[in-house]
Amino acid sequence: MAKILVAEDERDIRDLIVFILQIVGGHEVVPVGNGEEAVKKAPEVNPDLIMMDVRMPRMTGFQACRALRENPATAHYPVVFLTAKGQDEEILEGKELGALGYILKPFEPEGLVEQVRAILQQIGKA
Amino acid sequence: MSAIILESSLVHYEALGRGKPLLFLHDWLGSWRYWVPSMVELSSSYRAYALDFWGFGDSDKVPARYTLNGYVEQVALFMDQMGIGKIPLIGHGLGGMVACLFAARYPERVDLLMAVCTPLVGSQIARPLSTFSGGDNPASRILGRKLSSYQEVALEAGKTDATAVVSSVKTALEEDLTEALENLDLPVMMLYGGQDPIVQPPDRSTLDSLDYNVYPFLLAEAQHYPMLEDTNKFNRLLRDFMIHRDNWEAIQVKEEWRRRMR
Repeated sequence: MAKILVAEDERDIRDLIVFILQIVGGHEVVPVGNGEEAVKKAPEVNPDLIMMDVRMPRMTGFQACRALRENPATAHYPVVFLTAKGQDEEILEGKELGALGYILKPFEPEGLVEQVRAILQQIGKA
Repeated sequence: MSAIILESSLVHYEALGRGKPLLFLHDWLGSWRYWVPSMVELSSSYRAYALDFWGFGDSDKVPARYTLNGYVEQVALFMDQMGIGKIPLIGHGLGGMVACLFAARYPERVDLLMAVCTPLVGSQIARPLSTFSGGDNPASRILGRKLSSYQEVALEAGKTDATAVVSSVKTALEEDLTEALENLDLPVMMLYGGQDPIVQPPDRSTLDSLDYNVYPFLLAEAQHYPMLEDTNKFNRLLRDFMIHRDNWEAIQVKEEWRRRMR
């Protein structure tokens, strides 16, 4: 079981991700509503993985990722982005920021659990 | 994990989404968990609840309540406690029988009913289940190697109290739901799998006894878990039923099934 910080502004999608990762996947999930909250919350939560939507108000996922990288206390947190299918330019930009990967929306419950499991294995947190 | 206490016993449930509530009821083999894909599908428009019957999943083991009536009352208590009024009920196998009996007893609390792989009469329950007499992990004993095809079932199969299966099957074998359904004034969809090794589809005389508001569908290739075997088709049918209710003509891909059933 891993501790995952999830930043997603759309409440329905956030609830769905929490349900899938927490109830189906058995992870501990801390949800927040935008990138700014993710940056503030990360040192307190000390997550194994941060999952962030790219497009969020107040601070986008990319801006939040940069802010995390600039702080030595949070620079090491693994980040994956959530993005809609077909947003190739976002995928490239995220890779440049050192993102571990992308999870494409919409997703199936078991598919999301499996993707997260693979990412956690990749970073030795499974 | 979400749980409430009903008459001094813990009942585990999960809920997802916002909107009008609906309730999923599971089978003899499994728990709330295999409803996840359907809960996710409907969560954009509904508050989808799924509970564990007593003796299954993470709910308490309460042998005195392992009967169809006991589970009907568990549903009633759950809805009371959660402040849920009139709702759609979706039940599978045991859950389908409970849903039908609940609707007959509390018609004012059920909006529509979908019963999946649900025996109308006890004789539809096939041998692996009808003759089950106990032992650890009933799903493994009854489904054998097929259980590995249903991860959502297999994950929690070991939590089942075998006595809950034996006792509730015993009451189910003596049951005849056709009378209960006859008096229901709500849309009822009965969905069956043509290859189901656990619950056989009803025979013609049973089908002929059903009222016009009860509609049987057959998924010719499906076995006992159509919600897992062909999730997209099942979810589409469920969503169509929720939208179109008893406007059977409007429900998609209906013809192929209807021809085979009536």
